[in-house]
Amino acid sequence: MTFTASSHKNLFLSGKRSAEEMISAQFKRIEQHDPFIGAFLSTFPERALSQARALDQKRAQGKPLGSLAGIPIALKDNMHVRGEISSCASKFLANYKAPFDSTVARLIEEQDGIIIGKTNLDEFAMGSSTENSAFHTTKNPWNLECTPGGSSGGSAAAVSARLALLALGSDTGGSIRQPASFCGVVGFKPTYGRVSRYGLVAFGSSFDQIGPFAPSVEDAALIMETLATHCDKDSTSLPLKKEAFLSKLNRDSLKGKKIGVPRASISGLSAEIEQNFSDSLKLLEKLGAEIVTIDLSMLKYAIACYYILSTAEASTNLARFDGVRYGVRSSQATRLEEVYDLSREEGFGPEVKNRILLGTFVLSSGYKDAFYKKAQKVRTLFIEQFNRCFAQCDCIAMPTAPSTAFSLGAIHTPLEMYLQDIFTIPANLAGLPAINIPSGLSKEQKPFGLQLIAPVLHDAALLSYAYAFEQGLHLKQQIPSPFSEDLL
Amino acid sequence: MILHFYPSSPQEIMTQFNDKELLKLTKLARISCTKEEQASLLEKLTRILSYIEQLNELDTAETQPCNHILPTVHSVLRDDLITECLSREEFLQNSPSHVGGMIRVPPVLNKENP
Repeated sequence: MTFTASSHKNLFLSGKRSAEEMISAQFKRIEQHDPFIGAFLSTFPERALSQARALDQKRAQGKPLGSLAGIPIALKDNMHVRGEISSCASKFLANYKAPFDSTVARLIEEQDGIIIGKTNLDEFAMGSSTENSAFHTTKNPWNLECTPGGSSGGSAAAVSARLALLALGSDTGGSIRQPASFCGVVGFKPTYGRVSRYGLVAFGSSFDQIGPFAPSVEDAALIMETLATHCDKDSTSLPLKKEAFLSKLNRDSLKGKKIGVPRASISGLSAEIEQNFSDSLKLLEKLGAEIVTIDLSMLKYAIACYYILSTAEASTNLARFDGVRYGVRSSQATRLEEVYDLSREEGFGPEVKNRILLGTFVLSSGYKDAFYKKAQKVRTLFIEQFNRCFAQCDCIAMPTAPSTAFSLGAIHTPLEMYLQDIFTIPANLAGLPAINIPSGLSKEQKPFGLQLIAPVLHDAALLSYAYAFEQGLHLKQQIPSPFSEDLL
Repeated sequence: MILHFYPSSPQEIMTQFNDKELLKLTKLARISCTKEEQASLLEKLTRILSYIEQLNELDTAETQPCNHILPTVHSVLRDDLITECLSREEFLQNSPSHVGGMIRVPPVLNKENP
């Protein structure tokens, strides 16, 4: 039986178990299994158990319980939980305690969800393997010699091994969907602006979106009902209220729908990914959809466009880390300028420096037109091409990643790592909702993932299509063996 | 793992990216670099720049730059009302050094390096 957030919540609501008991058991799981995986950077047993006890009292008093009642939830360590460290997996913020709650943390707790800890990531969300974390490397629960993907690798791994039953990640160029694919879990990036970024440490402000990792599409829809709402404190937050996603999940939602596949742009995949993608398309057809070929020829320019715009935004967003007001200040600094230069030199890892310098370059005098403004125009071309595609189809299907999880240390150069995001970046360029759904296991028992992308604000429809696919596929093994044996 | 999207030969670099440019960037970005880091950064950044120059293949003469992904989102202002804010004590908890309720930093100029 699959261990899901919904089943956990139902067990609590049934009265058969107390929240305290269940959360305590969850921390025992983490204690037992996380030394092998390294999903978490910090856990909050005291805080979580105190909330669990309060929840038990609330239930005993017959008070109404929130929609996430008792569910153990992890947050990527670039999202603030007041009083706890938000390190962004960087030496720079190793001692930084969040002075306020992120909107997503507040919304989760308002619905009685229990935040159990913060998960590992690539430093400042820059990476595709979680190997850029300044603290430790997270392993993929399906194969401990492989990466969980990135940058939200910790959250993906935590849900994969059911160390948390829901986890939040942030997706700037694929950082929810790609690790979800590698770890065999559902990973959802909402329409840009649908979920508040208040309290998320910004990387690329016009790309970043918070979204859930979940054991099932139903679980993702459950937490999205809490997260997707307007926030006064985020100026890019869409002026929309909460939306019903759960009641719109429908096994028959693919009947009569057109699924666009950009065949010309996704050729040259490895044989196993090609086969799995082909199988996924056959299933979509069996479920009533029609596959149509679409032109997404802009795809080949996605990485170049993204790495100009996102690094430009990152260079601005990370300028605040100057060693003055917060973060680790260099002990070698004897002048104010050295506070900036040395704190940043010591505090940032190599990939963060790469991207800040690249971003500074593309914005600098003499080059801004050629690079930054050019990339902004190319972004418009992407949006226009997607609009033409969606005139012909209801959603787009692609593999989420060009490979299954690669070995730790296998990728040596930044550019090679950037190419991992080829299929995920386009949705961020155009602000589209996109989802990874586990679509099988390779011969080596490594997960495959199918990506579906829908037009802007079609989040509910997308979740429903994903639900239909997931129910139609009915994967037999969803939790890696070493971590499933002790589950009820 | 085979990468099918990597260009088979690097494009000719339009911009001259060299040590001098890199040093200028490190000053702009306020990140100092060791000599070893400089060589590695130069190599990495040159390769990435070479790759991103492929955007020049696209004709964008008539295209508007994208400033907002969604056309409905524009400048959002709130009413000028006093709301809750972080207390000075809470703010200073994260500061590396503070005195008398203020952040303390080393001097702008010092005797050795005015």
